[in-house]
Amino acid sequence: MSAVLQATRLKVHWTDRIGNVLLVAAGVLLAIFLLAPMVAILAKSIEDKGGVFVGFANFTEYFRTPALAKSIWNSIWVSTLVTAITIPLAFTFAYALTRSCMRFKALLRNIALVPILAPSLLAAISFIFWFGNQGLLKSWLFGGQIYGAPGIVISMVFATFPHALMILVTALSLTDARLYEAADALGTSSARKFWTITLPGAKYGIISAWMVVFTYALSDFGIPKVIGGNFNMLATDIFKLVIGQQDFPKGAVVAIILLVPVAVTYVVDSYVQKRQSALLTARSVPYVPKPSPAYDWAMTAFCWTIAIVLLAVLGMAIYGSFVKLWPYNFSLVLDHYRLGLVDAGVIVSWFNSVKMAFWCATLGAAFIFLTAYLLEKTRGIDPFRPFVRLMAVLPMGVPGMVLGLGYIFFFVPEGNPLHFVYGSMAILVICTTVHYYTSSHLTALTALKQIDNEFEAVSASLRVPFWRTFFKVTVPVCMPAMLDISRYLFVNAMTTVSAVVFLYSPKTTLASVAIVNLDEAGDIGAAAAMATLVVATSAVVCLVYYVLQLWLDRRTQAWRA
Amino acid sequence: MTEFLELSHIRKEFGSFVALHDVSLGVHQGELICFLGPSGCGKTTLLRIVAGLEVQTSGTIVQAGRDITRLPPMKRDYGIVFQSYALFPNLSIAENVAYGLVNRRMPRPEREARVKELLALVGLPDSADKFPAQLSGGQQQRIAIARAIATSPGLLLLDEPLSALDARVRVRLRGEIRSLQQRLGITTILVTHDQEEALSMADRIVVMNQGSIDQIGTPSEVYRNPRTPFVADFVGKTNLLPATRVGDNRVQVGAQQFECEVSGALADGSGLSVFFRPEDVQVRGVNGSTPNSADAVIEKVEFLGAYSRVAFRLPGIDQVLNADLSENDMSWFRVKPGDTMRVAIPPDRVRVFGAA
Repeated sequence: MSAVLQATRLKVHWTDRIGNVLLVAAGVLLAIFLLAPMVAILAKSIEDKGGVFVGFANFTEYFRTPALAKSIWNSIWVSTLVTAITIPLAFTFAYALTRSCMRFKALLRNIALVPILAPSLLAAISFIFWFGNQGLLKSWLFGGQIYGAPGIVISMVFATFPHALMILVTALSLTDARLYEAADALGTSSARKFWTITLPGAKYGIISAWMVVFTYALSDFGIPKVIGGNFNMLATDIFKLVIGQQDFPKGAVVAIILLVPVAVTYVVDSYVQKRQSALLTARSVPYVPKPSPAYDWAMTAFCWTIAIVLLAVLGMAIYGSFVKLWPYNFSLVLDHYRLGLVDAGVIVSWFNSVKMAFWCATLGAAFIFLTAYLLEKTRGIDPFRPFVRLMAVLPMGVPGMVLGLGYIFFFVPEGNPLHFVYGSMAILVICTTVHYYTSSHLTALTALKQIDNEFEAVSASLRVPFWRTFFKVTVPVCMPAMLDISRYLFVNAMTTVSAVVFLYSPKTTLASVAIVNLDEAGDIGAAAAMATLVVATSAVVCLVYYVLQLWLDRRTQAWRA
Repeated sequence: MTEFLELSHIRKEFGSFVALHDVSLGVHQGELICFLGPSGCGKTTLLRIVAGLEVQTSGTIVQAGRDITRLPPMKRDYGIVFQSYALFPNLSIAENVAYGLVNRRMPRPEREARVKELLALVGLPDSADKFPAQLSGGQQQRIAIARAIATSPGLLLLDEPLSALDARVRVRLRGEIRSLQQRLGITTILVTHDQEEALSMADRIVVMNQGSIDQIGTPSEVYRNPRTPFVADFVGKTNLLPATRVGDNRVQVGAQQFECEVSGALADGSGLSVFFRPEDVQVRGVNGSTPNSADAVIEKVEFLGAYSRVAFRLPGIDQVLNADLSENDMSWFRVKPGDTMRVAIPPDRVRVFGAA
């Protein structure tokens, strides 16, 4: 005889109930602002323009259009080439930073990370100044053209370099010095150590960096738009189909095609991440490089070459923003800022960008952190948690163009009760927060996992509601991570183009979109000026965060071990 | 007599794994009871069920006459101390200790007095303004205890409170926690895998093995009269040998016979096991007529300070046995590997278990 036992369930305390309600609310918001737009794209792709179900007709038609189908091939080979160039460069740079006795490492590292502060368009504009039709070094191309694939590739290398570098520096810092000591004790050659210890140790980092760069290149919109000329890629196709031709179903088809490779890389990456965290449990001894003059000099020469190129790209955009009339009058003036931005009223979009970045960095960051907290540290409604967890990591697999398009499909129809957010500042803030959700979520999660898991249990035993412990303990302890998240969102909100290019209204134009439009209007000087303004803003904001962090460190040094 | 805490038929499943099988247990008012067992035996799970941090699959819990089976942690009445201390790093020691008091709307002067009293109680009166990171591990653990008892809970739960500390501090804190507990008379459950800790601190020990209780008893009962081979082996060092019953109060081990008390309930035949403790092996005043004596061949001597552990073999027994000999015995007999010496195991120190 077997009796079916009803498992005992605890009654839920009303304070825990509040936590559960908040988590459900967060899940619902993510469903509305992430899942629903994605579903809208899927739905749109199997309808005709009139909204009638047509099955896969849009797809077959798409693949029969040679120009469009060619974009797939273009996107893939360009992304592959960008990855194949960026990864070895970034790996060597990261290797020099972690495994050599090169001097000025901190300075070199900061220079190498500068492109993160710039909209990806900045590189494209700069390369036009250098190698464009009226570029300073056009002769270097021997009659070739920078517009099209060459310009796209080198601009993307510039834009993706720091992303790959950060991942690879982390991966290379993790290797255990004891392995090298053991190898030395056994008389192992340097080359063998590299192949048997260094590379396997950094393997997951390299794969991860590979994925990030590939995805970035595949889904970036700004660079091919500005420097691509007639070279079509998937991201520009979406824009043309949707904004130019108002062909929403075809746009949806491209969005889905764009999702496929990104989804594949995303799945591989999350698998790799899991493997890597398993490797990291052992306590290891940090590696300290030993001086080796010839090698150190070679590394120094390499890194400075890269740094100078990066600075030259950045510098040219800044320089170009001050040049009176390229290439005829090289006197330095503020005309592009004064006439091109302020007098032309374009400066408003800079204010809008700062406003949007501010809301992302405050409300967006707070939402992400609170949701991660509720997910990680509260109890109850266990069946619902995997859904929220999935929503939190999904955005990494969704290119900005696709997300933006989903927002159009979902929020534009008049029947949607949330239609009113379309065209508002709110939708820009929400879309950008969702777009950059995953990394922020993971940062929050890492910080939360470092906190003792029993704080909530202790609080409950002392009959203290969870929110008191949240505000009194969790938030102060996680403040550095929260600042990181906030800064990350601010900088990305300042520079993002892809998602918001579909969503801005005349009242909420953004700086990064203004760069695209100024460039399109042929006013490359003003475009450069706006790009410079964005870099300057991000740099200043990073400094502010740096000072905040210092202040926080000083204030909390009494209790931080 | 009604118990202060009554656990009845507690069963806990994690998926298909059964962590606790039908555990029933009564905890007396004011005692310190110890859940002892190897890792994975379910002792921590049982403690967390008492705390409401885990939910049992079935079974009931009654604390002080109140059915708390389905109450969430906040509705129960206990203080808890974890192995990790779980002190709030950004709050001062005084704020940590007062954490539960603030929520009870205790007026500030009263609260401050209570914190002062508690800090004095745990022997750290001057640490109020410090932060946890500025205290040693042992001091942090005492603060964690002060925080747990600040609100005068009816039950104190200690989850491996000493495991993270080094050996010296651990021994000192054992005594301190025990005397504090006795002074307050607070009913306490201590979870540990350290048998020495359990023996030295507990009023009663609950020995757990693979999700079940093997034995409940006072430390000396558990040590002297283990009910199962597992308890014998887990609590204290032991020699455990397979045996066959060969008559009233006699068992055969290999080629040797031992005289011992065999409970009538045990069946004749093989499948029995005998056990004796290393410290019960005698070497002084042993001669050919001493019961249970034999010539032992010394295999190895391990010096352990106050005593030495001597590994030896008995003729006809294919197993290395251990004896703990005092330094006096060691120097008197000049024990060294390869020697032969007469050893005896007093019949009242030999216990016999039935088939496992």
